[in-house]
Amino acid sequence: MLLVLATRLEAHLRTVFDGCARIDRISVRAKSVDRFAAKAEKEIDGKRKYDDPLTQIQDQLGARIVTFYKSDVDRLTTEVMKYFRHIESVQIVPDSESEFGYEGRHFILFIPRDMFDDEVKEDESIQFFELQIKTLFQHAWSEAEHDLGYKPTTILTSAQKKRLAFTAAQAWGADQIFDELFREIGSTGAEHQVMG
Amino acid sequence: MELDSIHSFLIHPGKHLEEPPEISGTSVAKLGGLYDMLKRVFDRAEEECPHDVAFSADSEGKQHNECRTAILAYLKKTDLAHGRALAKSLQAVTTNKSGLGLLFLMKGTRKDETKIVVSRFPADSGIFAQEMEKELTVEFLERIFMKNAASYKAAVYSGKSYDHDFWKGKAGDKQINSAESYIASYWIRDFLHSDFLTPGEEGTRRFASAVREAMNHSTDTKTKEEITAFCHLLPGLKGKVASAKGILNRFHVSAATQQQIKSWFRRESLFDEGFQFVPDELAKFLAFTTVELSNGGLLTAATNNFDKVFAKETVDPSKEIVRFSTEGSIVDQRFKKVKT
Repeated sequence: MLLVLATRLEAHLRTVFDGCARIDRISVRAKSVDRFAAKAEKEIDGKRKYDDPLTQIQDQLGARIVTFYKSDVDRLTTEVMKYFRHIESVQIVPDSESEFGYEGRHFILFIPRDMFDDEVKEDESIQFFELQIKTLFQHAWSEAEHDLGYKPTTILTSAQKKRLAFTAAQAWGADQIFDELFREIGSTGAEHQVMG
Repeated sequence: MELDSIHSFLIHPGKHLEEPPEISGTSVAKLGGLYDMLKRVFDRAEEECPHDVAFSADSEGKQHNECRTAILAYLKKTDLAHGRALAKSLQAVTTNKSGLGLLFLMKGTRKDETKIVVSRFPADSGIFAQEMEKELTVEFLERIFMKNAASYKAAVYSGKSYDHDFWKGKAGDKQINSAESYIASYWIRDFLHSDFLTPGEEGTRRFASAVREAMNHSTDTKTKEEITAFCHLLPGLKGKVASAKGILNRFHVSAATQQQIKSWFRRESLFDEGFQFVPDELAKFLAFTTVELSNGGLLTAATNNFDKVFAKETVDPSKEIVRFSTEGSIVDQRFKKVKT
């Protein structure tokens, strides 16, 4: 069911954002069984975080839109709010202003009703999907950082933390400068839409 | 489903009042004419609430909604105190124009599923007539609360998990298309802190896409003429809440054309789903009209201007021969390739 919904949702997102400038890619994935099980078994203070994971875990379907510049994230956020009903819309940033790390715009959205039919019944399906909007640099950093595979319980050395933060700062800086240049110079040559 | 409990509250307007009037409330006994009437309201709520709605996130975009929180608190502990909390939030958005109202909270359960119906009966006045043996007495009554009044409102929510269900429900509001925006917003947005499950742009996009596909794939001239005709009238629906079916019925579109449009909905049941119409969204899909003639001519102009740009006259009705004419200075001329 999740795989069917993922395919449909990706096609739907591509239709909705068809003609929208400066989108690098749109992708939707169903959470793998392993990742779902790992998340379902998460504990906080020795107690299971989820007592009904099938209902509580809201990112069993995850979508991502990668765009060019930081101002595009705001523009696409406005578009998302027009076409999807959300119960959550937050900007994820590091805890402190002096830190560098993961950044992205996250939504929890109702799955559009068009996605359901007799094969995937609305009453028997998950209700929500997670949508992330990121710039190219935010996406590159988060993908590379995630691929390192360390867990929240992994103790990183001070040097490792600094190097990770340094790469995040570089990505943040590149985003700032490209956004400034985009607003100063414009994108006369870059109005094409590339959707991987 | 069993109707387990009913609470009722009399709500005087209280918007912008520092000290709003007290709210009196009571439990309704599970017998008698009032119970029977409310049981019917409870059982038929899903049919009588045509609008699919969802609770909105809070102002910080977090998964928190005050009305939903109050409803869940009432479901977890169903008593006058928790019901009065909901009544107070309704009072806080009720103006003198909306007037006095009677709020009913009806809760039912079946196995592990819980359902709540929230309904507001507006106050009205009427005449009570009593026939005795040889005489008739009539009496003017000031506080009558009528379900079939034009301003009756209701909402229904159901689910199994108090923590993770109850994000969407159905609402009914006969004043939803009121020209007064505060009346139209009162029940769904101001009190329920909700909005339509399908945003206006998405509902309009879905409708416009189906209309365009029906137009582009139909080989029937009458269908195309019908679609062209009602499309000119659609901008007048700005802000109105209607379903695709409702819109097409409003413009007396034939059943055959309606069926063609309906067939292009990915899910045909959404043909009946209400949404708030957004003309700008429509314009994106129906931006240009192209007419192809049997002589190979192609005429293209902005849809909302086509009839002004090209004048049409019938030359031979028996052979459906028409003449289009236009005049202006040449701004551009170009070649186009065939799409392979």
